[in-house]
Amino acid sequence: MSAFLERLDHELTSRGVRRSLRRRIELEYADHLACDSESETRLGDPGDLAKTFAAELAADDARRVARNAFIALALAALALVIGQLTIGAAGGYPGYNSGLSTALAVPTILTILIAPQIALVAGSLAAWRALRTRGSRRLPDAEVALIRRRSAIATGAGLATCAAMVLYATDHTQQMAGWWVALQIGLAAVAALALTAAALQARYSRHTVGAVPGPSGGIVDDVPALGLVAAHPRAACVVAAISAAAAGTMLGGLAERSLIEGLERGVFEGLVVGVCLAVALRLSTGLAARGRAPQS
Amino acid sequence: MDPHGHLDGMLLAIAADGPVHGYAAAQALAQRSGGVFDLPEGTIYPALHRLERAGLLQSGWSTASGRRRRVYKLTARGKRAVDRARGDWRRFSAAVESVMA
Repeated sequence: MSAFLERLDHELTSRGVRRSLRRRIELEYADHLACDSESETRLGDPGDLAKTFAAELAADDARRVARNAFIALALAALALVIGQLTIGAAGGYPGYNSGLSTALAVPTILTILIAPQIALVAGSLAAWRALRTRGSRRLPDAEVALIRRRSAIATGAGLATCAAMVLYATDHTQQMAGWWVALQIGLAAVAALALTAAALQARYSRHTVGAVPGPSGGIVDDVPALGLVAAHPRAACVVAAISAAAAGTMLGGLAERSLIEGLERGVFEGLVVGVCLAVALRLSTGLAARGRAPQS
Repeated sequence: MDPHGHLDGMLLAIAADGPVHGYAAAQALAQRSGGVFDLPEGTIYPALHRLERAGLLQSGWSTASGRRRRVYKLTARGKRAVDRARGDWRRFSAAVESVMA
């Protein structure tokens, strides 16, 4: 093996380029050198070439992971919505303590309420950043890490939602129609498969490092309107809570065919959104105060 | 002369003439430009990979003198991209020519 190929292999390995791709790249350069043994001096620096490969690959992989995670989350969202919209026809919402185990029902219901919202926010932010940067061949390592982290949080929350859907259906097999239990478990399983595929893809590509300096940018770069939220955190929490409560009441009431049940769900939903936003803003402020830009 | 900003378009134009491997693309680039471009030959490969990831090229292995060789050919999307790049370049060069003349 020539000194060029040895150094190229070392540089590609140190930048985390996966083995199959490394092998392909090296075979292409080996063919080039075999065509013209004098060309080694004209190929360029192996370190620079490896950096170019790794930086462009890391950016493309991060964008692809974000896109696929978002598609998988859309599938999970569809599964969740179908399950909720058909619950009325399957016997209506069972009480919190009417399942096989209250200890199982409470965390399951909390997960179904909270995890999809985390998945929606993290997945949307990852996909939006990927879309915004689609014209850039390379991205700073910090920005690649940010897209990967948002995608990982989104797929993790999506998988938690799917698991909670299955547990919820299993916990209420006595109260709910058999077709609904089967539908809920089937939809959750399909969504979980798509999410697992997205998570595995993210895991497969996480080692590639482009060594491109630069900041990741924060959430305000993605959604400038959130600058207003950061400036008026209390008002933002109240508005978000009221909006979520109104939407939850309307949708819950429609699904349950009962205004009282809708109100119960709406108020709870509003509280969850308000508290979660307050905690997120508090964390962001804390990070900024410690001299770090909010990362997600 | 640094052709980096136009490398992708030129590689697509070379691939538009038929399937091509990395060394042949480097040679075509050097010959057609009359050796004007000061470009390390190795930079062609990251560009070919980039164009393949973008769906403008597709590639496969062939064998030449007992060696494995990656051959690239233009996709339908790549053909449209070449036409667009040629049109853009003609307009750009005509505009520069009329200013510089």
